[in-house]
Formats: sequence, C-alpha cells, structure tokens
Amino acid sequence: MRGDLSRRRFLAGVGAVGASALVAGCSGSGGGGGSDVLQVWGGVPAASGPGKVVEAFQRKFPQYKVNYTRFVNDDRGNLKLDTALQGGLDIDVYFTYASASLALRAGSGLAADLTDRVKGDPDLALFLDTEQPRAFLDQGRVKALATAREPYFVLFNEKLREQAGVELPHQWTVDEYRATAKKLTSGSTVGAYTIPDIARISLGPNYWYSDDNGRSNFDNPIFEQALATGRAMIDEGSAFPWSEVLARHLDAYQQNSFLKAEFNLWSTAPFNLRYLYDAKKYPHDFKVSFAPPPTVPGGGDWNGGSYNNFVMMNPKSTKTEAAWQFIKFWLTEGSAPMLAGGKIPTLGNVTNDQLRAGMLGKEPDKYFDLDSFQRVVLDAEPKLATDTKLAGFPEINLAYGQQRDLCWLGEKSPGPAIREVYRLANAAIARNEGSA
Amino acid sequence: MTVAAPSAPVQTATGQPPAEQPGRGIKPSGWTGLAFIAPNLLGVIAFTLIPLISVIALAFTDWNLVSGLGGIEFNGLDNFIAIARDPGFWNAVGLTLLYVGVSVPLTVVLGLALGTALNRPLPGRGVLRAIFFLPYIVNTVAIGMTWLMLMNPKSGLVNQTLDIFGISPGWFASSHWALPALIVMAVWGGVGYCSLIYLSALQDAPGQLYEAADIDGAGSWMKFRAITWPSLLPTTIFLAVTLIIGASQGFGLIALITSGGPGDSTTTISYYMYQTGFQFYRFGYASAIGLVTFLGVLVLTLVTWRAQRGRALHD
Repeated sequence: MRGDLSRRRFLAGVGAVGASALVAGCSGSGGGGGSDVLQVWGGVPAASGPGKVVEAFQRKFPQYKVNYTRFVNDDRGNLKLDTALQGGLDIDVYFTYASASLALRAGSGLAADLTDRVKGDPDLALFLDTEQPRAFLDQGRVKALATAREPYFVLFNEKLREQAGVELPHQWTVDEYRATAKKLTSGSTVGAYTIPDIARISLGPNYWYSDDNGRSNFDNPIFEQALATGRAMIDEGSAFPWSEVLARHLDAYQQNSFLKAEFNLWSTAPFNLRYLYDAKKYPHDFKVSFAPPPTVPGGGDWNGGSYNNFVMMNPKSTKTEAAWQFIKFWLTEGSAPMLAGGKIPTLGNVTNDQLRAGMLGKEPDKYFDLDSFQRVVLDAEPKLATDTKLAGFPEINLAYGQQRDLCWLGEKSPGPAIREVYRLANAAIARNEGSA
Repeated sequence: MTVAAPSAPVQTATGQPPAEQPGRGIKPSGWTGLAFIAPNLLGVIAFTLIPLISVIALAFTDWNLVSGLGGIEFNGLDNFIAIARDPGFWNAVGLTLLYVGVSVPLTVVLGLALGTALNRPLPGRGVLRAIFFLPYIVNTVAIGMTWLMLMNPKSGLVNQTLDIFGISPGWFASSHWALPALIVMAVWGGVGYCSLIYLSALQDAPGQLYEAADIDGAGSWMKFRAITWPSLLPTTIFLAVTLIIGASQGFGLIALITSGGPGDSTTTISYYMYQTGFQFYRFGYASAIGLVTFLGVLVLTLVTWRAQRGRALHD
C-alpha cells in the first residue's frame, strides 16, 4: 500500500467492515427484510412434517414461495424468535408452543388480530368455541390458533403386561393406576415412570389459578394429594426413583428408559409415538398398547392434554393475504403431514387411516396394539384443557417443579412443599397482574 | 492489549517541534494502527460496550423485551428496592458466596501444592503438566456429561468407590450435595491451570535467597514461609482475583447439569439472573441484579487486591 492511511480511507474501511457484518447478520435463513418469500418460523424440524406442508402449499398456490425456518423450542430458541420479531426481521407466520410465550406475544403487539378472518370462514368456526377453546384470545380478540390436538394416554409395554397377567384397562381411576403399577413392578422394571397430573385431570384448564383474582389455586387439597401419591409410589417402588430421574435427566429422555423396559406405564402424548415405530433407530422388541388417562374420583375426567402448537401472524407482515392462506392451509387440507410428528390436526380433518398411518409408521401392526389405539385415540372424545389464565406462568412452573423435586426426592413433605408453591405462586401472580 | 512507549519528540530543522495540523488529532500512522484494531474494536463496542451500557440503563426500567423498545418503562430505583426484599436473590447470593468461598481457596491451595510438586525433577514431568492442565481446556459440555455419569448416585464410579467406606452421597440428585458436587468439579477444572501459573512463578523465585537461607540453616518450612510464599503472593492474588470473578459468573455447568436445582440449591447469582431474564422475561430486574452483582464482585476483588499490598517479596 502506498503512503499512510488517511482518515477518509480509514472511515471507509470501518464502514465496509460494518456493512459486511450487517449483511452477514441478515443473511441467515430467516431472510432479510421485505423479501417476496413468505417467511414461516416453527419449532418442528422441517423433516417431521412442515417441509411437506410447505411443498403441498406451494403446489396448490404456485404464486407463493415459502421459507420455513426452524427454531429450537427452548428458552434460547424462543428468545431468538422474540428478538427477531421485535427487531423487525421478515417473519410472516410463526408458531408458539409455551403458554407463557403465548400470553406475552399476544399481549405485546406481536400477534395480528385474526378475529374477522376466523369469523368470516365457516371452516374455522370451531376456533370460536369458548367451552373448549382452540384459539388464544387477548381481550376478546383471536390472536393465535391451535394447530394440534394433544390428548394424553397411558402406554403399556405389552410383553411385560402379559407376563404380569394384568388386564388392559378401558377406564380406571388413579388408585387403580397405582395398583396396576405395583403389579407391573418387578426386579428389573419399575411399574410406572410417574403419576399423571391428577390435579389437572381433576380441575381442568387454568387449574393453577383460583377463580378469585390474584390468588393461586394450590390451596386446593388435590395438589397435596398429587404430590403425596407420587411420593408414595416412589417409596413403594412402583414409580421411578426421582433421584434417578434427576441424575440421568430422564425428564427429557423418558422414551429411552421405556424402550429399555426400565419402566412400564408411561403417561404421554402422541409426539412420543415416533420413538416407538422406528426400531432401527430406537430398537425394542415389544408392542405398545394404549389406555386412557386415569380419572380422579369425584368427577375429575379431564384428559390432561390440550390444544396447542399455536400459529400466529406477525402484524408487521406485508404479505398478510399469503400468510393467511398459509395458516388456513396448515389448519385444514394441509395438516396431514404433521401427523408424522404426532400432531393431530385441531379440526380433525383427517381420516382414521391417515391418523393410523401418520402416527404409527409403516408397520403399525408390528409395534402397536391397534384395537386399543382405535379405542383410546381414534374413537375417544377426550376433554382437552387449554389454559387462558397465564399470569406468572413461568415463575409458577419453576416453583412447582422445584418443590415437586424436593418432595419426590424425600427431602420435603408434600404439605410444606405445596404450601411453598402456594406462597410463590401468589407472589408471582400479584407481581405479574400488578405490572400488567 | 499492549501500549507503545512514548517516543521522543520529533525535531524540525529549526530545532522546534512541528506545529500540529489544525483539526487533526491523530497522525496518519495512527489511522493505520486504528484500521488494524478496527475489526476487534467494533466487536468490543458491539458485544461488550453497548450491552454493558444497556444493562446499566435497563437496570432502572421495567422491560420484558417482547414489548419492544417502546415498552421500556423507567421505574427509578424500584428494581433495587425489590432486590433488597427478594429472598430468592439473597439465597442466590449466599450460595454464590459459599461456592466462591470454598472453591477458590481449595483451587489455589491444591494448585500451589501441585505446582510445587511439578517443580521438582520428576520423570515424565512434561506429560504430567499437560494431563493436569487438560481439564482447563476441555469443553464444558464434555466435562458436565462425564461428571454427571461419574456422580450418578446409583451407578456412578464415584459412589461405587465411596460405597466401600459406607458413604453414598446423592450428588446432583440431592439438594444437600449438588453444590458440593459443583465445587468438586470447579476445583478439578481449575487446579491444573493454577499449578501451571504457580510453576512459572516458582521458577522465577530468587535463587540467591534460598542459598542464603541454606547457609543460615533454615528448614524447608522456614524457606517456604519466608521466601517462597512472599514471592508467590502476587501470583496468588492474581489467581484469587481471576478465580473469584470466574466463579461468581459460573453458569455453564449449572445450566447444563442442575438447572439451579434440586429445589433452588444450586441457583447461584448468575443462574438466578438468567432465570429472571430469559425464563421470566424480566429484563429490567435481571439487569439490576447484574449491576448489583458487578458491584459486589468489584468490592470483593478490591478487598482481595488491597489485602496483599506491601506483603509481596520484591527483588
């Protein structure tokens, strides 16, 4: 280089570096601002269904191009999405899975008002049902639509069930669940992973919140009963030792222990079925049968599952027509490919054959008891609960998880544990409602 | 960063220094230098300076990020008043002090012992140094996963060994043992680094003083107390300060292994800040915690630094 660098050249260089950094920062798969391509962000990997939905949509509407970006549905992934939405990144349609994020995004101007579009479309009338809500309403306006129905069920390891001579229940109570778990417990297998959420089964939606404003519901005796039953099952050996669950991070990898027959009864939802029909990737030598969730004496017959996987439209989107077409396509005729990831369409617009093929893989007979699948998943009409009260939800979720751990490790009695949850939940609700 | 020594003033043919050009504070050669550091400087501005200033500003606000910049509400000292009354914060402070107070002295003492041992002529000394230093450079996730398996209360190697003595801690599955387990990991990870720093300091120790001590008939302990330890004091302070800062900010292993639990038994101040900001979306409050933590660590560092002034051995 000839001579020294002048200030002008220096500033030009700095500008070039800054510009290239900016360009690099904006050139991710999310795309820069204002492209003609419809930008969709979701938490499900493209290969587990969204890729096929996008392909089918583009076939039907060749005038639209769609780019699907996957974000990991954890704290960091959701923060990335929130930052991108706030930062004005070109996102037209996005998905929300966590209840806390739903309220936050809908209440912070990050979700377009879809009320008129839903009301104007007879195909979507179910989203206006307020008895079993399938949409998230913010101040009476529809801000998010559930794309999936997620009923819970209890899975049995058929081989071990037959060995133990246990009947497959068509309906049962929590006490019968516990008795069955005891019978299924052997030297090498624990009867159940854990107890289903009996407070939710008993109370249904918004079960953490009292009808009185500003209070939590943890003074309801069912919560202490739930902790006590779970602890009793661990103590008697019919539920998995909680020390093992924590030490091995089993909460996130329950399927591995089920496949290895470390426990038998597994209360879970359709998204975990994908581990059970791929014997190459997840080897196992037993069939799986289905039972409904146990009920709680005294009228508790909520399923415990919910409508979820909410789709939302970014109010800053400049392609609202294309975005709405895509949302409607995903909810209606385009929903079938999502069955591969265990996402049962909210509107039920798939046949039983599609459900069976989509959720149970290519050889359903080999890995599943199809009679019980028909009875529990296809024919049943479970009462699904969708929460609408969400004040302080993440704080309460953390407090409950922490106290449950201490209780189920045997370090704290159920009473003091749930009273601590009650205190923390009340504080969280008061803080959040106070700042709302 | 190195700073160039000031050069002698340039003289002109008349013997006078050249007149500075009006409006030009930096010489052309200075621009060249700036151009070289510009990429790094931009990084520091973007990823350190701006976030630092933002945290200080946000500490006086109520903000949930999702509401955007328009949703930032100035709330004066409310966050700091809330911190003073927040039992979760004080629990985290207590755990952090315990974690720092036990792990840092243990790391320093064991590092000194190991450094002293490695300073002697041992066969395979170079290999041993590399082995002891290895934990310092191994990926945090690999360390976490390995220790998680080793410390499994039922099937882990640690408990299988301790079982011989009738001891069986719950480690990460016990609110009483989870923090001690993290301390063990921190000490294991830091001892090799400390030993290497001590080793280089020991090799710089003033040899003539040892000779004089030998002539005076001083024993090993006397030589250590009167010569070795004072000469190592600046190194010890350096290690203590860097380890205190590092341990106060400890986050990776907690996030990876315990997520602050069981209960809140490993929710140290860094993890509490993370929960508040990234799980509860209370970014204003989390920023205030960050600011208070920064001031706390600063005080701790200054106290440590002042404690050694005038006690070091100088040639």
